[in-house]
Amino acid sequence: MSESSSPPRVLQKSGIFSSGVIEDIQTKAESGIYRIRGYGTLRERRWATFDDLTFLPCALTRIPLEGYREKCSTKTVLGSRFAEKPIELDIPIMITGMSWGALSYNAKVALAKGASEIGSSNTTGDGGMMAAERESSKTLIYEVLPSRYGINVRHMQMSDGIELTIGQGAKPGTGGLLLETKVSDAISKQRELPVGVDQRSPARHPDMLGPDDMIIKIEELREATGWQVPIFVKLGASRVYDDVKLAAKAGADVVVVDGMEGGTGASPAIFQDHTGIPTLAAVCEARVALEDMGLYGKVQLIIAGGIRDGVDAAKAMALGADAIYIGTAALIALNCNRPLYVDDYHKLGTEPHFCHHCHTGQCPVGVTTQDPELMKRLPIDEAAERITNLLRAMTLEIQMLARSCGKSDVHHLEPEDMAALTPEASAICKVPLAGTRRVWGS
Amino acid sequence: MAELACAGRTIREINAEIRRLLKEGEAVTVSSPGARHNLGVALLESGVVVFDGSVGYYCAGLIDGARVRIKGSAGWGLAESMLSGEVIVEGNAGNSAGAAIRGGALVVQGDSGARTGVSMKNGLIIVTGSCGYMSGFMGQGGKMIICGDAAEAFGDSMYETICFIGGAIADLGNDAIVAESTDEDKQFLDTSLSYYLPAALRGNLPGAGDFKKVVSGRKLWNFKKSEWKTWEQAL
Repeated sequence: MSESSSPPRVLQKSGIFSSGVIEDIQTKAESGIYRIRGYGTLRERRWATFDDLTFLPCALTRIPLEGYREKCSTKTVLGSRFAEKPIELDIPIMITGMSWGALSYNAKVALAKGASEIGSSNTTGDGGMMAAERESSKTLIYEVLPSRYGINVRHMQMSDGIELTIGQGAKPGTGGLLLETKVSDAISKQRELPVGVDQRSPARHPDMLGPDDMIIKIEELREATGWQVPIFVKLGASRVYDDVKLAAKAGADVVVVDGMEGGTGASPAIFQDHTGIPTLAAVCEARVALEDMGLYGKVQLIIAGGIRDGVDAAKAMALGADAIYIGTAALIALNCNRPLYVDDYHKLGTEPHFCHHCHTGQCPVGVTTQDPELMKRLPIDEAAERITNLLRAMTLEIQMLARSCGKSDVHHLEPEDMAALTPEASAICKVPLAGTRRVWGS
Repeated sequence: MAELACAGRTIREINAEIRRLLKEGEAVTVSSPGARHNLGVALLESGVVVFDGSVGYYCAGLIDGARVRIKGSAGWGLAESMLSGEVIVEGNAGNSAGAAIRGGALVVQGDSGARTGVSMKNGLIIVTGSCGYMSGFMGQGGKMIICGDAAEAFGDSMYETICFIGGAIADLGNDAIVAESTDEDKQFLDTSLSYYLPAALRGNLPGAGDFKKVVSGRKLWNFKKSEWKTWEQAL
């Protein structure tokens, strides 16, 4: 048989041992350790997300508000259960806790300035409070984490809210990582760690274990802050229904639930990809938990984890969230993954839009680095303006959707304003599948 | 010394009154504490507070500057996250005594529970008796003196905390090693024990030369394949 008559060559790739799996096995065979990276889950196989819902704007059954001009309130109050000074924000989008260490100094200050400009809040993160962060934040939430790096009661008393972090969506059930390239002199001093260690934070708080201890812990935090400011409890989304009930029973003013799409500066890749439940499912479970306790509307619910825009935020609010945390979206606004300094992406073995190398400390755009030269690529004031713009745009998106559903307050969005596009989303969210009057599975 | 009775008062009222008295320069004796939780939290003045009985969780937690004496035993999280000051317990302390302290001195004139000195960043902890499981875990700095025995996993995964142990160690934690004590260490032990402990207590304790020094082996500070035997327990 002549060569020209051979059948065309067909390359067959294994569905089990894909290119990514081969690369993963061979990398671990070299390193002898689990994969560590930043950013958040890279899973391509989709699960039910906010994209599986659509809004049902008004027609004849309901009357819309004028989309571009009629009043639609975005004022957000958090912590009215027990705190004497609940947090009042102009918008329902907040900046989640991201540490100085994971992020550069410039990024932290830019987040604080940008959020304050539009009446939002900022959160400290692991490693304690930076003076510049406090100065630049109109509203600052102080995180109390298992590591207790930089814990300082005087800083707690300077804050507008306390967040007792039990876990986070990217890595529920384990502590954070900060690899040696990011444990610089300044970070070492702030966290009281030797310079250049691969810092692995603890998973458990050092002085409490279960929910019974947490009742006492929350009272201690209230004593430390004079019962003035709200106490948040932040949970990585796993057994959300039970965990939210326990947090609320323990006396939280606000419960934060961080879904599996949540980001991180560094953690084992398997945690980002294979632990926790999606944000869509988490908000639904959390709402039911509070409703079953008669506390829905009394204990506020903040949802986090992969929120990209005002649409995701509006859907989460319609499902029960009072406010939304963003993290990765804010970093992207700061130029994360933007095609600038492309050669430096190449040095990391990646490309703009594909970078998840926060853990290396070599962020080409100066966001997740402690390198002073790289940090200069993120001028604070310009970066802060982009944060303000993103928060403004997201808020306008929520308002537009709310008005189209006839709501004069974004917090009036409700599940009845949506239909599901997939049976899974219908079953999870308890909203009818589009084209039917049926809630799947009920 | 001003007297404050706990009976009929909420924790919030008790702590507010302690803070008010300290601010006025008064030393305070708190009677009938009844092992209630969160007594003496966030005391930011440098005065003296005496609890005339046992206290519950988080007593003297988050303090900065106060000198607290407990004439009884203490529950979990005693003096947790203290920035500076002095806390003396004339009895035993529960789990996590001195957790995450960043300064000051905690003295337990008895035994302490599991995770004593966990995540401590600085400061000094003295326990005249024995300490429980995993004491010193992830200690980042400061010094811990245990005059009696240490339970399992002592000094696990530490950074730069230095532990001195006068009795037996049931089991060293991951990456904890016994190091040679120096003359400076012995001087430090002598000075600290003399300063913080009454003579009647010191007589029954080991001499400065009898303490073993436990520090981090530093094999867990950075991942290295060659240290797998250490890491397989710690990862």
